[in-house]
Amino acid sequence: MEIATSRAGRVSLTVFFWLLVIFLYLPIAVLALFSFNDGDPSFPLAGFTTHWYGDVLSNRILVTALGRSAVVATISSLIAVTLGVLTSFALLRRRFFGKPVVSALVFSPLVIPYLVFGISLLLLFTLLDKVLTQSFGFYFGLGLHAVVIGHVVVALPYTILTIVPLLERLSVSLDEAANDLGANPRETFRRVTLPLLMPALISAFLVAFTLSFDEFAIASFLAGSQQTWPVYLFAQLRVPSLLPQLIAVSSVVFIASMLLVVSAEIGRRLAERRYGREYAARLV
Amino acid sequence: MATQEAAASAKQWRRRERGVTAGLLSAPMLWLLLFFVAPVVYVALYSLGGIKLFPTDTGVISLEGWRRFLGGGSIYLGLFWKSVRMSLTVSVVVVLLAYPIGYFLALCVRKLKYVLLLVIIVPFLTSFLLRVLAWKVMLGDRGVVNSLLVSLHLRPANEPIEWLLYSQFTVMLVLAYVWIPFVALPIFVSLDNLDRSLLEAASDLGASRVRTFVRVTLPLSLPGLIAAFVFVFVPTIGEFVTPLLVGGTSGYMYGNAIQDLFTRGLDWQSGSVLAMFLLIVVAGLMAVFGRYVQVRSVAAD
Repeated sequence: MEIATSRAGRVSLTVFFWLLVIFLYLPIAVLALFSFNDGDPSFPLAGFTTHWYGDVLSNRILVTALGRSAVVATISSLIAVTLGVLTSFALLRRRFFGKPVVSALVFSPLVIPYLVFGISLLLLFTLLDKVLTQSFGFYFGLGLHAVVIGHVVVALPYTILTIVPLLERLSVSLDEAANDLGANPRETFRRVTLPLLMPALISAFLVAFTLSFDEFAIASFLAGSQQTWPVYLFAQLRVPSLLPQLIAVSSVVFIASMLLVVSAEIGRRLAERRYGREYAARLV
Repeated sequence: MATQEAAASAKQWRRRERGVTAGLLSAPMLWLLLFFVAPVVYVALYSLGGIKLFPTDTGVISLEGWRRFLGGGSIYLGLFWKSVRMSLTVSVVVVLLAYPIGYFLALCVRKLKYVLLLVIIVPFLTSFLLRVLAWKVMLGDRGVVNSLLVSLHLRPANEPIEWLLYSQFTVMLVLAYVWIPFVALPIFVSLDNLDRSLLEAASDLGASRVRTFVRVTLPLSLPGLIAAFVFVFVPTIGEFVTPLLVGGTSGYMYGNAIQDLFTRGLDWQSGSVLAMFLLIVVAGLMAVFGRYVQVRSVAAD
């Protein structure tokens, strides 16, 4: 006898599951559908067109905003992954006093409301602006650098959560073997640990990248006049004539980030499984 | 001599080890202290009036701002409770919807379970703003749903269903939509880690499926259930983007008040009080329920 469900229960759960999948994907599918509609996003459909996509390319401000988001996301993810690797090694391979405090600190950005964090940095940068710009004539107020700084903080826990599972499976004996073969710690890291860790690093980078690229709450307080893509999108929603263009870009961004995230997930899983098998083989 | 040398080298080794740990941790800790801890402490001080940022700030520490906020008849406190009610409703609905999904994936699907889990989670990992935007396009007066109803002659033209957009209902619908995928995860993890032999034992001892569920499965998945609840409640209580896009005036939430105080009202001190209060509430929730939230389960194991 199947214990978890009866036959009828199983069927109804299957139906429920697929209904929920439809509920989750339908609004997005509708959005994508209307990006090809030659008119307002409403029924009846006015005919097929791709001109909204063409319009996007000639919309300078929009393209600039997308570019800014790409830059912010690249820089912040590179920093977040670097800090994430360092923290993961410390948490997993070192013994030190105050480890629970460190771990609570690095994971607390997962639960802090982005609204509160955003205004905290807004206050900080307003102060920095006042002190630094006025005293030293060197600008450090709001802008993309502030967004990068904020995004690194919120992406850091996600990178650690992506790196730690794989690092856990990498045996310390590999390091010891490299050491016995005459490699110094730096060489060991560069030629043994880093290549083995690469799938997790790429995956962590992609996760951090998508997080930053789409992030609105923090960026809205910190971007100042340099609007990133989500901030621009939000501001332009009030302009109905722009809506089809925004929908077109959104559909592309959605599909791109979906592909990124899925490939990151698959890569990470494959690597973990491979190392897991090697780990199991060693135990036998 | 030998022992002295050994002791000296052990000491040296320990110092080197400590140096390595410090080397690993210094950059991340410095980043978090400067750009995470310091700003939050700064807001706390600012909410007490202890910092002079604008000419109108007094720079004198007092509890005046907090008294105004917590005192009787404060509109913000009322707004906070309204947000708590909305958040609670959303959390309960979402957990009830996500539990069968987690149950189905963990206990009824064998080969494809991780693929199907990914199908559920992927929307969560893509743009939040976009998913809210999709609903705005769907539910507007001239939006997809209303225009579809008119096209199908189910409703007369120029008489859109108005409550579809800009209402408390819409905010809660969209929030539920946004959080279901994420919440299915901790529930799935706790059910997937459940020892199947316990279910078999219950069945062998003559328990019916319902009884097995109520007495074995449900209690064992309770930590996942609580984690799921916290996962929705904590972020939705401070939500401001969704109500801003689909809430209108009746869907206005506590988070919107904070944002308005900073961007429009320019009363940063009251804004800081409201923000700190929210942070204290969240920290309190995490202190009580945090032990159920295993951070690891976020990593989609």
